[in-house]
Amino acid sequence: MNENKATIFLILIIALGITGFNSFFIVTEGKQAIVTHFGDPVGEPVTTSGVHFKVPFIHDVRYVDKRILSWDGFPNQIPTKDKKYIKVDTTARWRVNDALLFIKTVQNEQGAKARLDTILDGHTRDVISGHNLVETVRNSNDILDIIEQMKEKIKQQKANNKTVVEEEITGEIEAVKVGREALSQMIARKADKELQDFGIELIDVQLRRISYESSVEKKVYERMISERQRVAQKIRSIGKGEKAKIEGRMEKDLKEIESSAYRKAEIIKGNAEAKATKIYANALSKDPKFYEFIKTMETYQKALKPNAKFILSSDSEFLKFLK
Amino acid sequence: MSYQKQNPPEVQKVLDLISKLKLPFILGVLAIIGVSSSFYTVEPEEKAVVIRLGKFIGNTDPGLHFKLPFGIDRVIKLKTEIVLQEEFGFRTVDTKTKRTTYSSRNFDTESLMLTGDLNVAEVQWVVQYQISDPFKFLFKTSDPVTNIRDVSESIMRRVVGDKLVTEVLTTGRVEISTNAKILIQEVLDKYDVGVRINTVKLQDVNPPKVVQASFNDVNAAKQEQEKMLNQAEEYYNKVIPEAKGKANKLIQEAEGFASEVINEAYGDAERFSSIAKEYRKAPSITKKRIYLDTMEKIFKTMDNVTIVDSKIKGLLPIFSKQGEVK
Repeated sequence: MNENKATIFLILIIALGITGFNSFFIVTEGKQAIVTHFGDPVGEPVTTSGVHFKVPFIHDVRYVDKRILSWDGFPNQIPTKDKKYIKVDTTARWRVNDALLFIKTVQNEQGAKARLDTILDGHTRDVISGHNLVETVRNSNDILDIIEQMKEKIKQQKANNKTVVEEEITGEIEAVKVGREALSQMIARKADKELQDFGIELIDVQLRRISYESSVEKKVYERMISERQRVAQKIRSIGKGEKAKIEGRMEKDLKEIESSAYRKAEIIKGNAEAKATKIYANALSKDPKFYEFIKTMETYQKALKPNAKFILSSDSEFLKFLK
Repeated sequence: MSYQKQNPPEVQKVLDLISKLKLPFILGVLAIIGVSSSFYTVEPEEKAVVIRLGKFIGNTDPGLHFKLPFGIDRVIKLKTEIVLQEEFGFRTVDTKTKRTTYSSRNFDTESLMLTGDLNVAEVQWVVQYQISDPFKFLFKTSDPVTNIRDVSESIMRRVVGDKLVTEVLTTGRVEISTNAKILIQEVLDKYDVGVRINTVKLQDVNPPKVVQASFNDVNAAKQEQEKMLNQAEEYYNKVIPEAKGKANKLIQEAEGFASEVINEAYGDAERFSSIAKEYRKAPSITKKRIYLDTMEKIFKTMDNVTIVDSKIKGLLPIFSKQGEVK
């Protein structure tokens, strides 16, 4: 009998313990809890972490994540407004801001993911196809300023007679009106409005990857290749032109140097000869007859070669004593 | 009251039952568990987050610390001093070997991105970060590393998307990494991830593989151009100084000629004047002397002198057969 009573006592203690443990619950950091009464939520969701009390057995507790959660979209192939096929890969961050509504409408994260998939994919498709490709790529029109600066620089260099290769400016540049960030915010705003019905707050949408669809990609590569080839060709022909310029300059300089040297030399020689002539004239004019004679004598000496055949008439001046 | 008074034996029975279940043994086990779970060590590179009954009560620094046992206090240690790294467009496989090996897998989807002029560039980069707030890192977002990766990819594309392909490949690298770092930090702060971005480093930045050859060709063309111009300049520098030297020589020669001619003229003139002066003193005899002197000089050297009487006519027939007549 006593032993029976002891068993009952032990059971009682255990039951009390279980009841005690069942009358409180722990909400850990990063979680929030909803107390339900046979499935019906009781009061507001518990969002502060720590120990909380409840009615044992009757009240049940369901936990929902309080942290920011990530959503990873499946890459979609979407045509842009200017009919370019691109693959768009988006991610989003969201959190449960109304746990009650969340539990009622989507129950758990898996349920939420299904809603996020349809809503975000739809809005992404709408927004992307409603804008040109550049709007998804660029965020500002800074690039246009950069191009302007480059053009200005090239103009200046050209004005300074420098040869410039305009290789930097290639590709299609058009102004953006909306921009990448604004597009993702647009998607986020539209989706957030719908997701409020599920107790979900959308923090943001990020356009993680935008890439060309493979057939478009091929064409882009072809264009890049042909552009590079054009630039290479231009550089080569500019090189040849520059080479020809140098060669021309060389030819010009050469002619100038040679001819001016000739000119100088001839002037020097001419002046000298003129001076010599004057000197001769001055000296010789004093006795022209004698000069004629003496010069003739000199000329004979110089002009008559040793192997020449010389025939002298016996009445020549030289032989007059020979007779 | 009477019930309670009657009960001590029953209580005694319960105690007996417990003692039958080897009470000291149970208490001993509980004590061991209690003691062993009431302290913990935090390594020098770590920080620990202490959670008491689900509630965050604080961080602890490296060293030995006490906590409440039996799972009342829960401790999560994070390596806050270590610089963590996320890689984009490539993966390091092994750093233990002499040369770091990289995965041969293709990460094109990560690295290929559109530039502002709608060209494509292949950008590889790393993001280095540290956990700045362990509590936020653990409890503000569900998957902080995924957030860092997603945001990094998105921001890198946004920054590269505002640049020309040539800038991305050449001069824009530093600006891209600085801007990306600032923007990634900004977005992550918005999520309260509890992470500090140390650096964003661009690694290999290339044109896509298929177009690489044509980019290289442009570089080759630049080299060729330079070489061609250098050669032309070199030739110019060889020819022109030589021509200048020759020109100088020509002028020098002309000057030499000039002094020669003038000096000769002076010499001749002086000589003539001197002779003429003496000649005038005795013209006829001087003239004769000069004439004879000259003749002597001439005939001394002559090999072939023929003297013909002045009365002989028809000189020609004699020599006509021998050819030249002088």
